Amino acid sequence: MDTHQYKIMGLVIWFLVVSLHGVVGQEAHGPETSRAEQILQHLKNPSEDYIVVISHRGDWRYAPENSLMAIQRCIDLGVDVIELDFRLTKDGHLVAMHDYTVDRTTNGKGKVSELTLEEIKSFRLKNAAGVRYSGQQVPTLEEVMLLVKGKIMVNLDKTESKWVREAYEVLQRTGTVGHAIFKGNDDVKTMRDKYGSLMDSIIYMPKLWPENPDVKNFHQDYEDDLDPFYYETIFDTEDAEPLYIAKTIMKKKGDGFLAIALWDELCAGRTDEKALLEGPDSAWGWLLEQGANAIMTDRPEELIGYLSGKGLRNFDSLKE
Amino acid sequence: MKKYIFITTMSLLGLAGCRENKVQEQGNDPVEPQVVQSDANPVSIDELIANLEDSHNDQVIVVAHRGDWRNAPENSLQAIQNCIDMGVDMVEIDVRQTKDGQLVLMHDVTVDRTTTGTGKVSELTWEYLQSLQLRDGIGHSTPHKIPTLEEALEVCKGKILVNLDKSYDIFDKCYEVMEKTGTQNQVVIKGGIPYSQVKEEFGSYLDKVFFMPIVRLNDPKAKQHIDEYLEQAIPVAFEFTVPQDTISLIGDFDDIREKGASVWVNSLWPQHNGGNDDEKAALDPSVYEWFLENNIDMIQTDRPQILIDFLRSKNLHR
Repeated sequence: MDTHQYKIMGLVIWFLVVSLHGVVGQEAHGPETSRAEQILQHLKNPSEDYIVVISHRGDWRYAPENSLMAIQRCIDLGVDVIELDFRLTKDGHLVAMHDYTVDRTTNGKGKVSELTLEEIKSFRLKNAAGVRYSGQQVPTLEEVMLLVKGKIMVNLDKTESKWVREAYEVLQRTGTVGHAIFKGNDDVKTMRDKYGSLMDSIIYMPKLWPENPDVKNFHQDYEDDLDPFYYETIFDTEDAEPLYIAKTIMKKKGDGFLAIALWDELCAGRTDEKALLEGPDSAWGWLLEQGANAIMTDRPEELIGYLSGKGLRNFDSLKE
Repeated sequence: MKKYIFITTMSLLGLAGCRENKVQEQGNDPVEPQVVQSDANPVSIDELIANLEDSHNDQVIVVAHRGDWRNAPENSLQAIQNCIDMGVDMVEIDVRQTKDGQLVLMHDVTVDRTTTGTGKVSELTWEYLQSLQLRDGIGHSTPHKIPTLEEALEVCKGKILVNLDKSYDIFDKCYEVMEKTGTQNQVVIKGGIPYSQVKEEFGSYLDKVFFMPIVRLNDPKAKQHIDEYLEQAIPVAFEFTVPQDTISLIGDFDDIREKGASVWVNSLWPQHNGGNDDEKAALDPSVYEWFLENNIDMIQTDRPQILIDFLRSKNLHR
């Protein structure tokens, strides 16, 4: 072989090595479970060692509530679940919007149910505190699920008793059924009557309300039928029934306890704001003492910092 | 990661600390709150004022619109304190007068959007306003209260420059509070009016506080207004509204600074800065380059943290 041929041989060998390395490299990484799947595993195996962080309406301090930018920010912060609100437009699209109308959060006007997707897309979202326009559009459920796919889970609000079918259709189409936690206030019989076996195909997290005098049976009926692995637990006082259920029946069963640190009446005053003003132990720490496995917050960055400092954000703690 | 945890913990401690101070302060006792500074080397107010008066140096002054409204209710004491802790140079706050003559911080004509109450500030009493809670950015009530101008200036005193918006028509009363709190030298007042009018209406204050004219660059008389100020009394700064970044007057900014006035442009909304706004910068901070390229040395922003990080990376902010 002359030099020229050696060069070609060299190139061929180099090419083989590189492509082989590529294949081996891929195999070495294997078909890894995505972060979203691992988050789901954490939710299904509630522990006191990894506290799940759920960010309310995305990180609305950083970007407009319910916007893709607010979701991306949560992904960047390492949040586990984002709670978002969805409503159905006049022409049948689910869009991320908290209020009935678009008035507060966009530069447009009107009820979501009386606007088309095209009309809503022409509006721009405002920042928090009503501070002008952000350039961000109202996202559809489909856009949200494509953004979060593999990265983070979503807790769907406002869809509970009306739009589960429409939402499920989008989740199936985008391959994200395992990314979405539905929630709701209705009892299990109402949900069964309305949605039948669809309830077995979705992840459903019922809400336990202190105002419900029958909340114990409400919980038991869910246990007997759907057997959810998580409950959103709301307690206006320390003596409220849902907190008692969480600390006794749910704990014994190993079901997850989500505490809502947003406002006084949802968590016996142990709010995010209290955490900032009086120290995190007085609020988030107290919720952990009650046995909360997940906290919904308006302060995701600060909460993650607090939990990390306590060694409660060891994401790999499941992999044993 | 450790560093991140440390910083977050420190800021939580800082915030917790502030509250303790505020609780002490509530007993109607005019004790100055002891501020827990997160910045190891806080810049003194004298340095901030010197930087404000110096239009030639390369340090850029960061002005936070309505305080740190993302992390505390807009125009609250906590929103001001957060700015101080963040290293913001100047906080923009809005002042209004109640029916019974109390000066309070409030942006809107009514209290509806930002508090748990309803009605026009000018038709409500201070006693009623004290019963209200401020709302957060998504409209939920918080433990924070409407501050008086006096409380706000006490927090700012010796710590941070102040831009007092909506104060022009009630300036005699505002000035009394500035004198009482000893903050006259930290406050900037602004107005979109020509020199002759300012001289007539505001003349007695011109050598006591900083007055900053606002000039819209698409105003046909813009050049005339600027020249009049430069000839009669060079202001500490001009605020320019720059609807398109092709306006030729932008080319005069270096001249204006050479003559002794700083150049203030808002990064808030695209119509202020030819489309080089905070929201674009949140996605790509290099958008702020436009301000540097055009000799702008004061920027009012809704993204103080991102802007400060950007400027510090260029050694243009201490």
